[in-house]
Amino acid sequence: MNEQDRVKNLDACIKCSACTAQCPVATVYPFFPGPKNVGPDAERFRLEGILMNAGCLNYCSNCKTCEITCPSGVKITEIILRAREKAKLAGQKDEAKFQHRVRDLVLGRAEYLGRLGTIWPALTNGLLGVPLVRGLMEQTLGISRQAPLPAYHRKFKGIKKTWHSANKQVVFFPGCFVTYNDSLTGLAVVKVLEHNGYDVIVPAFHCCGVPLQANAHFREARENARENLSLMNPYLQAGIPIITACTSCGLALKEEYPNIDASGAELIGQQSYDLFEFLWKLHERGELREDFQEVLVSLGYHTPCHLKAQGIGTPSVRLLRMIPGVRVNNLDAGCCGLSGSYGYKHEKYELAMQIGNPLFERVQLCVSKGEFQSMTTECGGCQVQIQHGSGVETKHPIWVLMQAYGLAINH
Amino acid sequence: MTDYQVVIVGGGATGVGILRDLSMRGISALLLEQGDLAHGTSSRFHGLLHSGARYAVKDPVSAAECIDENVILKQIAAHCISDTGGWFVQSSEDAQSYVEQWIRGCAYAHIPIREISLADAYLKEPLMSKDVLRVFEVPDATVDGFKLVWANAKSAKRYGGDYKTYHQVERLILDNKRIVGVAAKNLVNGEEIMVHCEVVVNAGGAWASQIVGTIGVPLDVICDKGTLLAFNQRLFQRVINRLHPPSDGDIFVPHETITILGTTSEIVDSPQENQPREPEVKRLLAMGEKLLPNLMGHRVIRAFAGVRPLHREDSEVPGSVEEGREVSRTFVLIDHEVHDGVEGLISIVGGKFTTYRLMAEKVSDWVAEKLGNTAPCSTAKENLMSEIPQDLRKQALRLLPCVAAEKMLERLGDDAEEVLTKIMDDPRKGQMLCECEMVSVAEVEKVASDEDSHHLADIRRKTRLGMGTCQGAFCTYRVLPLLGLENKKFDPLQDELKRFINQRWKGIRPVLWGQQLRETELTRAIYASILQLNENPG
Repeated sequence: MNEQDRVKNLDACIKCSACTAQCPVATVYPFFPGPKNVGPDAERFRLEGILMNAGCLNYCSNCKTCEITCPSGVKITEIILRAREKAKLAGQKDEAKFQHRVRDLVLGRAEYLGRLGTIWPALTNGLLGVPLVRGLMEQTLGISRQAPLPAYHRKFKGIKKTWHSANKQVVFFPGCFVTYNDSLTGLAVVKVLEHNGYDVIVPAFHCCGVPLQANAHFREARENARENLSLMNPYLQAGIPIITACTSCGLALKEEYPNIDASGAELIGQQSYDLFEFLWKLHERGELREDFQEVLVSLGYHTPCHLKAQGIGTPSVRLLRMIPGVRVNNLDAGCCGLSGSYGYKHEKYELAMQIGNPLFERVQLCVSKGEFQSMTTECGGCQVQIQHGSGVETKHPIWVLMQAYGLAINH
Repeated sequence: MTDYQVVIVGGGATGVGILRDLSMRGISALLLEQGDLAHGTSSRFHGLLHSGARYAVKDPVSAAECIDENVILKQIAAHCISDTGGWFVQSSEDAQSYVEQWIRGCAYAHIPIREISLADAYLKEPLMSKDVLRVFEVPDATVDGFKLVWANAKSAKRYGGDYKTYHQVERLILDNKRIVGVAAKNLVNGEEIMVHCEVVVNAGGAWASQIVGTIGVPLDVICDKGTLLAFNQRLFQRVINRLHPPSDGDIFVPHETITILGTTSEIVDSPQENQPREPEVKRLLAMGEKLLPNLMGHRVIRAFAGVRPLHREDSEVPGSVEEGREVSRTFVLIDHEVHDGVEGLISIVGGKFTTYRLMAEKVSDWVAEKLGNTAPCSTAKENLMSEIPQDLRKQALRLLPCVAAEKMLERLGDDAEEVLTKIMDDPRKGQMLCECEMVSVAEVEKVASDEDSHHLADIRRKTRLGMGTCQGAFCTYRVLPLLGLENKKFDPLQDELKRFINQRWKGIRPVLWGQQLRETELTRAIYASILQLNENPG
C-alpha cells in the first residue's frame, strides 16, 4: 500500500464499530479492545508517534473477519499488521518475553518445521505424542501442550509423469500443510485436475509467508513472496493459472503478492485461484467433467475465514451439491479459533477454543441428531481444530470429488 | 477596600499568562472570563508555535520575539508542545528573490535554518508536492492552546491567583477618573458581582474594545477572521510552510491526531463572526494544493474560524483590502491614563499565541510598577507543570491503553491520580468513552465534576472529547448519563445534547463531501432518527 492509499484507507473509517462487533477475539476476550481500536483508532496516534503495546496488537488473530465486515472497505487487518511491524522495527519488546520471540521464530517457520518433521515423520509424530515432550515445549517455547499440532506425513512432491503436450497446464501451489502434513490431499488435488485434462506443474515453492507474517517476521514473509513469484513468473507470463487448495495461501496470492516489488506481481492477483473456484469456473465454461458417481454422504461444511476474505463465496459447497447423493450443511457458525498458529500459543489456546466453541457445539449437535457424520473444510488448520474441538472427523472437500470421480491414490 | 489588587478581563492565553505572572510576583489577582477558558481565539488557531521564520522578512521584531519565546516555551511548557520542527518549502511558483530575503531575515533574527536535500525531504514527507525547489528546516513546533491555557491557570492558582469563568464584565467602575472595580454577571446563575481593585487589565482580545467601551474609552481593535481546516489524520510529520510572503492556505500544522491547514484573513465586524464559510474553505483547498496535491481527496473533518484581534493604530495601510495581513502582529500595550485620562486601566492588544508569555511579562511589569511591587518576572524560569511522577505514569500505563494513558497524563498532570483511582475502584470506567481521541469514562467523569465545567463543550476543550474523526457521533450520547450524575450543574441534558451536536455541525457543514459526508449521515441517523432530536418534546 503506498502512502496515498494508506491515507485513503484510514480516512474511510466512519467509526461504526461493525468490525469490533463481529471480531471473534473481541467477542470472547474483553481485554482485546477490538479491530477498530487497535486498527484505525490507534493508527491516528501511531502517526503522532505513540505506539501501542505490541502485546495488545498480538491478540489480533489475522482472521480478517473485520475486513469482510467493514461497510467502508477499510483494510483493517492490514493496518494492524503494519502496526505490528512498526512496533517491531521500533524495537518495542512484547512485554511478554524472550520466550515469545523464540516461539514466533519457530511457529512462523512452518516450512522449516515441515522439512524437519518430514525427514522421519513417524519419529516426529511419536515424539509430539509424548506428553513430557509437549510439556517441555510449553515450558520452553510457550506452545500449548493441549494444542492440536498436526501430524507429519511423507513430504508432498507432486506427481512424476510424462506430460501430454496437448494438455492444458496449471501450476499447483500446495502450501505447507499439504506439503508436510497432508500429502495425500495434495495428490488428490493433482488427480482431480489431471482427470479434467490438466497437466499439473508443482515447482519447489516456499511457504507462502502468511505464518511468517502472523508471527511478526514481515521482512522474511516478503522475501518468501519474492522467491515464490520468481518461480511462478514464467508460468504467469505464459498465462498459466496458479491454483491452491489452501485458503490462506490463496488469500496471500490474491491480496499480498500483488503488492510485492517483483515481476509477476502484476499478474498474480488475476491469475491465482482457489481450487474449487477454478473447478467452478470450469463448470461454468462447460469444461468440468461432471460424470459423477453417486456418493451417499452427509457433510457439515465450515467456511474458513480466509476463504470468506477472498470474496468468492463457497464454490466447494456449490460443486459438492452437484454430486448425486451428497448433502452439505453449511454451518455458518463463525471462526474455528485456530487462525494458523494463533491457537497453538499457550496464552491463547483457551481463547481459541472459546472462539471455536459455537462451531464445535453446532457440529456435535448436528452429529448427535444424525444430520451428518463428518465435516469438510478447505483449510488444514480449521480441519485440525474442528477435529480437536468437536471430535468429528474433518477432511478437505476434494476427497468427496475423488469418490465421485471413482479415483483413488495408489500408494 | 479592595478585593483584589488586579482584575484581569479575558481568559485567553494572554489573560491567564498575566494571572500567572502577577501571582508569581505576589500580586493578588482575579481573572474574569465570559465563557470557558480558551474558548475564543486562543484555541481557534492552527496550533503553531512560531519559530519566527514566518515573519522574518516582513516583521523582524515579531520574528525575534517569536524565536526567543519559542525556546522558552519548549522548556517551560513541554507537555503542551510537540517539537515537530518545521519546513519552509519553496514551490516552483515562489520567487527566488524572496528566498534570499528570507534567509537574510532569519539570520538577522537569529532563527537557525538548515537546508534539506529534496531526496531526504520526500523520504520524510512522502505526501508533499513534488513541485518543490528548496526545503529549509526551522525550529517551528506545535502547541495545544487548550492545554497551555489551562496549565497557566492551574499554575497561577498554586500561587494564589483566582479565576472565574462564565462571568461577563458588565462595566468598569470609575471613581473620579480612577478605576476602582468591575461589575460582572455570573452567566450560569445570573448573579451580579462587584469586585473592587486598584488596576484592571483588559486582555479581552477581540472583545477588548467592548470592555473599555463600557466607560466610553475608545479602543480600535480590528477583528480579523481566520478560517482553518482540520484533516482527519496527520498528513505531515512536521509543520510545512510555503516559502513566500505569508498568505492564505500556506501552512500545514500536524496537531495532535489531525492536520490543520491555515489560514484565511478577512476583516469582520464582531468577534462573534466565527462561522467558517464555503468560499473560504474552497480558497484554502485551492492554495493548500500547492503543498499537498490531491487535497480534496483527503478527509476534512471540520472547518473552524478564530477572530484575531489586531490593533488599528499600527496598521501600515489602514483600510486596504489586505488590511488583516498588513497590520502588525506585534502587540501594543495601551495605558489609558496616557491616552484617555483613566487611571489604573491598561489594555493589551494584538500579538500572537507564541508571544503570550512575553506580552504577559510586559503587562505585569507595568502593573507591578504601578503597585510598587519590585519582584522580577519569573515565568520564563519555572515549568508550568511539574514532572509527572514515574509511579503515576506506570500506574496509568497499567490501567489504560498506552495512548489513552499518555494523553491523559499530558492533559491532567497530577490530577490524573483521581482518574486512576476511579478506574481501580471500577475497571469498567477504564473503557474509552470517546474512542477517536481515546478519552476514558473515568477521565470524562472527573472533568465533568470539576467546578469550572459548566457545559459539555467545556469538557470537550479539556479532554478533546468529540474532536476526532466521528465529530461527536458516538461520544455525545454516551457522555449524557455522566452529566446527569452532576446534579443540576449542567443544563437539561437535551439542551446540552442539542447545543453540542449543533456546535459540531457548525464546523462540518462547510466540508460536507466524501467520507465526512458519510460520517455525517451516520450521525444524522443516530440523532435525528434514533434519538428523534428534531422532534418537539411531547
